[in-house]
Amino acid sequence: MRRVITLLLVATLLLASTIGSANPNGVGEGTFDAQCGGACHGDADMNRTSASTVMVSGPATAYAGLPTSVDVTVSNIETTVSGLLGIFLLSDLSGAGDTPEDDGWDIVSNSEGGSLNYVEVLISPGQKEHTVSWTLRAPEIGTYDLHAAIHHGTQDGSGAPFFGSSIQPMEVGVVPVPENLPRLAASFEPPVVRAVGEATSVQLITEAVDSMEVEWRVSGGPVQTTTVERVDQGTWTFDLPASLQPVTVEWRAHLRGDGPDQPTPWFALQSEDPSLSVDRTAAYVQSLAMLLMFMVAFMSLQRRAGLETEATKEDAFSMEVER
Amino acid sequence: MVSAGTLHVISTELAVGAFAMAGVAFLLAGLASHGWLSMRRHLTLVDHVAHFALAFGLVAMPFAIVTGIQSSPGSGVDHPILINKMFLSSSAFGLAIGVLLTRRRHGQGVWSQPWGRRWQSLGGMATVGLVLITASMGGTYSRGESLLDVFNLPYEQVPLMPMWLSGLVMAVAVANMVMMRQQRMT
Repeated sequence: MRRVITLLLVATLLLASTIGSANPNGVGEGTFDAQCGGACHGDADMNRTSASTVMVSGPATAYAGLPTSVDVTVSNIETTVSGLLGIFLLSDLSGAGDTPEDDGWDIVSNSEGGSLNYVEVLISPGQKEHTVSWTLRAPEIGTYDLHAAIHHGTQDGSGAPFFGSSIQPMEVGVVPVPENLPRLAASFEPPVVRAVGEATSVQLITEAVDSMEVEWRVSGGPVQTTTVERVDQGTWTFDLPASLQPVTVEWRAHLRGDGPDQPTPWFALQSEDPSLSVDRTAAYVQSLAMLLMFMVAFMSLQRRAGLETEATKEDAFSMEVER
Repeated sequence: MVSAGTLHVISTELAVGAFAMAGVAFLLAGLASHGWLSMRRHLTLVDHVAHFALAFGLVAMPFAIVTGIQSSPGSGVDHPILINKMFLSSSAFGLAIGVLLTRRRHGQGVWSQPWGRRWQSLGGMATVGLVLITASMGGTYSRGESLLDVFNLPYEQVPLMPMWLSGLVMAVAVANMVMMRQQRMT
């Protein structure tokens, strides 16, 4: 019996080590403040400064309520044991209430296939630079700062986590929309996700647009154009081809009208394998039911086989189990 | 620090290695108990090897499951292969416990009755088969291929029962256990 208690104790301690090991495989994309609001790596004693350089770039002017694009480029990336690099787009670096949404920005999409301010990317060994693009809808008229930050591990998986941030923020002046500016309507919501093997028909709603051209590309690939059909005065449709595997397709429109020509930012459309919708509770209950069923069915089967003998006190297996 | 992925590889190798040894020993025990291939004199040896290896595999299995969940991207079971892995591993777990409890209760007497010896060796080998298919599904999930792909097993189909049916199966199983216990007491 003492042996069983020792075994259970050791097992519990071993399991506890993996459960308490932070998130070595990342936390996935999400909406997070700088350093995840101090949840894990926020204490200055618990992290070190990353040697990587983080830069935020994009147009210095945006139109209120219209989408604009911001790039975060991380260079001099350190190779880590998992290859994971977490990248934040932020409105300041205070660690509280500092997501772009807190300043009124609305994240439409990002080049990693999501629509949140924190992404995790997998860096290949030796890769020194990576850029993530966010498409955001601009807030009210005014001047805003956008910052970026990163965090990552180490090559050997030991030591404190590393944190880095942009040296200086990108300043964006949000100005009123000119009356005749060809633009997407404020109500337009681009699709950001679709199933693999499914072609996508995008309906664009525009204002002050007489004609347009749409370009698309598989992330990092050559740019191609597609045919745009005008449905009525301010409505247009175009098709994006189906993808055969989970990839990010980016598209943008060149809008023309009485005002100056206006290219939209690149919008990302992530294709994913059809998601599985299963009641997890039902799956867990069935799992337990199968465990009990197989155990009892086998023991019942053996009883019907006519086993009547009992284990002797000298039997090695029973002796070990009894101890 | 050792990552969950590395721990999963270690614990999986421990579990699968132990189960593989148990599978071979159950096969030999089945042969020996029937007196085939002149192996009857080895019955005690392979009987102990089979059951101890199975018990060791059973102890290692929870570590493999927990580290597997820790190292898996995403949140929990959100893929048909992962759900089927869970079903198969719990079935293997139940069958292994049944085999070990039977052995514990009846001692080496399990090999004395014709059907007892057949069910014991087949039950042990079936457990190993379930664990090996579970491990193979892990390879298909993480690397897109595994050794058992030649059989084209339907990994993508989830045979999910309604909750009431799972509850009924559990109730029948528990009632059966209670009845077995009472019969034994009398």
